Amino acid sequence: MNSAQIEIQLIASLVAIACAIPGTFLVLRKMAMISDAISHSILPGIVIGFFITQDLNSPLLILLAAFTGIITVVLVEYIQKTGLVKEDTAIGLVFPALFSIGVILIAKNANDVHLDVDAVLLGELAFAPFDRLFIGGTDVGPKSLWIIGSILVITIGLLLAFFKELKLSTFDKGLAASLGFSPAIIHYGLMSVASVTTVGAFDAVGAILVVALMIAPAATAYLLTTDLKKMLWLAVGFGVLSAISGYWFAHWLDASIAGSITTMLGFIFLMVFLFAPSKGIIAVMYREKQQRTEVSLLTFLLHLKNHTEERERHVNHLQEHINWQKVRAKTVLDLALKNNMIVVNKNIVSLTKKGDAFTSKAIDYIITNEDAQIEDMKDDFFLFRG
Amino acid sequence: MDITEYFSLVFTDYTLRTITLGTAILGAVTGMLGSFAVLRKQSLLGDAISHAALPGIAIAFLITGAKDSNTLLLGALVSGLVGTFWIRGIITKTHLKSDTALGLILSLFFGFGMLLLTFIQKQPNANQAGLDKYLFGQAATLVESDVWLMAIVTGICLCVLLLFWKEFKLLLFDADYTKTLGFNTKFIDILITTFIVLAIVLGLQTVGVVLMSAMLLAPAAAARQWTNSLATMVFLAAIFGAFSGVFGTAISASQNNLSTGPVIVLVAAVFVAFSFIFSPSRGLLFKQIRFIKNRRDLELHKTLAFMYHIAETHENISHPHTIKLLNNFQGFTKKTLQKLVEKNYATIDGSMWSLTDLGFETAANLYTKQNTEDE
Repeated sequence: MNSAQIEIQLIASLVAIACAIPGTFLVLRKMAMISDAISHSILPGIVIGFFITQDLNSPLLILLAAFTGIITVVLVEYIQKTGLVKEDTAIGLVFPALFSIGVILIAKNANDVHLDVDAVLLGELAFAPFDRLFIGGTDVGPKSLWIIGSILVITIGLLLAFFKELKLSTFDKGLAASLGFSPAIIHYGLMSVASVTTVGAFDAVGAILVVALMIAPAATAYLLTTDLKKMLWLAVGFGVLSAISGYWFAHWLDASIAGSITTMLGFIFLMVFLFAPSKGIIAVMYREKQQRTEVSLLTFLLHLKNHTEERERHVNHLQEHINWQKVRAKTVLDLALKNNMIVVNKNIVSLTKKGDAFTSKAIDYIITNEDAQIEDMKDDFFLFRG
Repeated sequence: MDITEYFSLVFTDYTLRTITLGTAILGAVTGMLGSFAVLRKQSLLGDAISHAALPGIAIAFLITGAKDSNTLLLGALVSGLVGTFWIRGIITKTHLKSDTALGLILSLFFGFGMLLLTFIQKQPNANQAGLDKYLFGQAATLVESDVWLMAIVTGICLCVLLLFWKEFKLLLFDADYTKTLGFNTKFIDILITTFIVLAIVLGLQTVGVVLMSAMLLAPAAAARQWTNSLATMVFLAAIFGAFSGVFGTAISASQNNLSTGPVIVLVAAVFVAFSFIFSPSRGLLFKQIRFIKNRRDLELHKTLAFMYHIAETHENISHPHTIKLLNNFQGFTKKTLQKLVEKNYATIDGSMWSLTDLGFETAANLYTKQNTEDE
């Protein structure tokens, strides 16, 4: 590993951390798409800043771009407040228009300079180590490392200082407001951080990767925990993991670093989406299947309790009378036998004492719908879980 | 070339005619289907799908090795549909919200597509140049066969819309009721979603990934302001979309260095801004006018009620009182007084006012109405 490689990985990891922190709150506040909107609509800000300074590295660019990001948020909120369209439509109207203005400005005036739309959207991490910062003639490292480093320090500082306020206003806006925290200030503060992070990071990694780094790690973490602190740590971890593994994947494929970091993010999300212990798709499907079996079992037990005639209680009758298409009757029968709810004698099914007591309780619960009833049942049986 | 020259050339010049027709048809079909997306609160789906189509284009190219636009669009369609259904899976199976799911799929698919594109660029295949036109769109690359494809898809779309009109409408406004009526809501849902994806994919070549969502939303959002009827809205959205396409092409053709996609989007945005401000029933301008008018009426009524209370204490209701009395109370303007005179509710004689019979009666009615409402 040479120093350029280390620097690239360092920059990518710092961007990942800087994005994961505001991203977590955006995901929790159901504002994930705002990051996409900001990442596109900062373009005119950058272009105008470039016209003024003629320098792609000027801090004015970052300021103007971040300001455009805030304008986007304000515009979206204004349109939404008029009540003419819904919030998502407002987002979808604002950012393409701003982006179009940016693209037209570039096409009309800046065709000959190094400011093309591809670079803004996609970035090129591989070039980041070549753009170095000199202080008094000494080389102190890549410029983007310093930019994103300072943004990260500010972000972490704000996070530590306002963690309580952020947490409260994210989960209970009304309570936060009544306790005297201004939700508006926190909202715009968060938007400013997201906006500045987007601008600071896109030069190195491109707008799309910024969006991916904001949303994907937070969403992945949200599938694994509901604890805010844990979620933040997990999001940071997933971000850094994909940044580093993505770099090596790109190295191996000889393809875009931003693209492969996103791909890694996607892969990790897919894995968690499928295999997460309680909220993963497989766990959910397994639980749904079990619940279906349990409901069928209950239906079956109630049927037994209601019918004393032998004809109605024959094993073969299972499929006929109660129309179970998906859950096989045998599964239900086995489950009931295993739980000592029924006995099968010459293919005639009858309730055991335990089964009878259980079924009476279940009827009680269904009729009264009182939670006290179900609490007992949960212990001796697994019905109505979660 | 200026705009007038453009319009005279449209009918004779092959390239211009093709591009204009293409963007017009595209605008019409996206406007039409966009109405459903907007009303179903799926506005940002267009943004997500258009990004999600990118890896499909790249994979289709990797498999066939050729740049046939129909194959690439097929790839885009498949990957757009995969993205859509994954979004739906995330929303229904996990506690992640729809905006997270949209943003996630959008950025992940697009990033993966970029990875594939850069991978393709490294391949020793001279064919690959120009794949990135799908990112930002290039209306100039439209050829006659593309326009035919658009026209055919639009035709099919129109037929399906007419055929399933009732079902679509019902599903839009009351999904649960539709289900209880025995309609297969899943089928209708998939049908409309597939057509939305199809329209988006068709537009990729013309306006590109980034701007496609605006094509879907803007005409529909503009049309929504003018009507409350679904049929009118769909029709208007198609018209707005088609006009955005034609005007956008005309403006971009009349200047150098002006890409068509962004101009079309901006023209559509102008339609939206115009509709937001000037639509008679929902527009901001008339809303503001109504607001001011209501406030004036209210003030007028307040003055009248106050006058009524004073007049009530006298046997003769037209007993004159000084205007000062009113001014001391809340500073009512000369204008409101003048209005009262105009309406023949009061008369003014020098610095004195008195209520007329009509004014007294109106005020009494107002008063009793208020009282009964209070109780």
